Amino acid sequence: MTDEKFERFVHDAAREYHRPPEVPREEMWHAIRGARTKTRADRRAFRPAWIYWAAGVAAALVLGIGIGRVTGSDGEPAVASGAAPVSEGTGVAFELATTQHLGQVELFLADFRSSTQAGRSMDEVSEPAHGLLATTRILLDSPIAGDGQRRTLLEDIELVLMQIAQVSGAAPKEELDLIDQSLEQRSVLFRLHSATAVESAGTDLQGAL
Amino acid sequence: MDDRELIERVRAGEATAERALYDRHVDRVYRLAYRMTGEDELAREFTQDTFIRAFDRVEQFRGEAALGTWILSIANTVVLNGLRKIKRFRRREVELEEAATVGSQGRRAEPDLKDRLKWAIDALPAKYRIVFLMHDVEGYTHDEIGASLGMPSGTSKAQLSRARARLRDSLAEFAGEWAS
Repeated sequence: MTDEKFERFVHDAAREYHRPPEVPREEMWHAIRGARTKTRADRRAFRPAWIYWAAGVAAALVLGIGIGRVTGSDGEPAVASGAAPVSEGTGVAFELATTQHLGQVELFLADFRSSTQAGRSMDEVSEPAHGLLATTRILLDSPIAGDGQRRTLLEDIELVLMQIAQVSGAAPKEELDLIDQSLEQRSVLFRLHSATAVESAGTDLQGAL
Repeated sequence: MDDRELIERVRAGEATAERALYDRHVDRVYRLAYRMTGEDELAREFTQDTFIRAFDRVEQFRGEAALGTWILSIANTVVLNGLRKIKRFRRREVELEEAATVGSQGRRAEPDLKDRLKWAIDALPAKYRIVFLMHDVEGYTHDEIGASLGMPSGTSKAQLSRARARLRDSLAEFAGEWAS
């Protein structure tokens, strides 16, 4: 037999191999729509834990500021400004809130970086960045920000979060590169990591005492 | 509406554009999935998964290949990965392989030539089978096959040639029938 004959035979006979039935278009479309709707709903329902923690931190700060306003160290109402004296209770509340906040920012930025490197969509980053940005600004306006390294770190975080908060969907590569540069040039992740490690140790010690 | 306009409208979230994209490509995807699996349920699952992924990743479509080829490449990935994962299918393949081996020891069961061809195609490694089915059965060109499977068209030709050689070996004892 010749190749030609074999190929003709295979060509004709193989058409019967797993011959597809009529394409169930409508049923499959229905299933696709259902799956996509469910995925969108799940994405909306599922928010990384740090979003809730960030909200908790913000609430703690508001509470801390409230306590600071009502209770001064000598029982007199204190002025809620950067220069105002801070009562011991308020100071601890701010310390705890700051430690938690820095930890959440660190997690968020690490996640953001891995998302950009993996080319994932930026749809989900703007909203949490706004939340973390609001908390950062509360901390910057609080007495605990001080004038030293912590204030510089919070200011750098504010800048990066502002950039991320403006990103959406398929952000241009240049924009993402700019954010990456901000993170790199200011060693934000490294400084955050160092700050959270030191402050966590301090908080743990405080708790143990 | 050309592919570029269609994609832009899908990216903008237009439901009618998504449906238009689906209608334009679903037949080819389902047919290929069915040819590879032989089961309606699996073919539906793979087809659905292909379009869900395509809609999710539409931002990643750069227009370097035709839209149909891009969707077909997603389909091929879904089908080949899906088949690897499905134990049921693997068991079936083993059974078919065993049946084919028994058949080659003699013609006691007197299988029909077309049955033997079916077994022989089933027994092809998936990478050969998909090239064979796409080219000889569904009529794709080597360029389309290569682009959708992420390989040069020359590799597609080579794999088709190997697939045919294996089929010919499997059907050697029936040579008189197809030659007649």
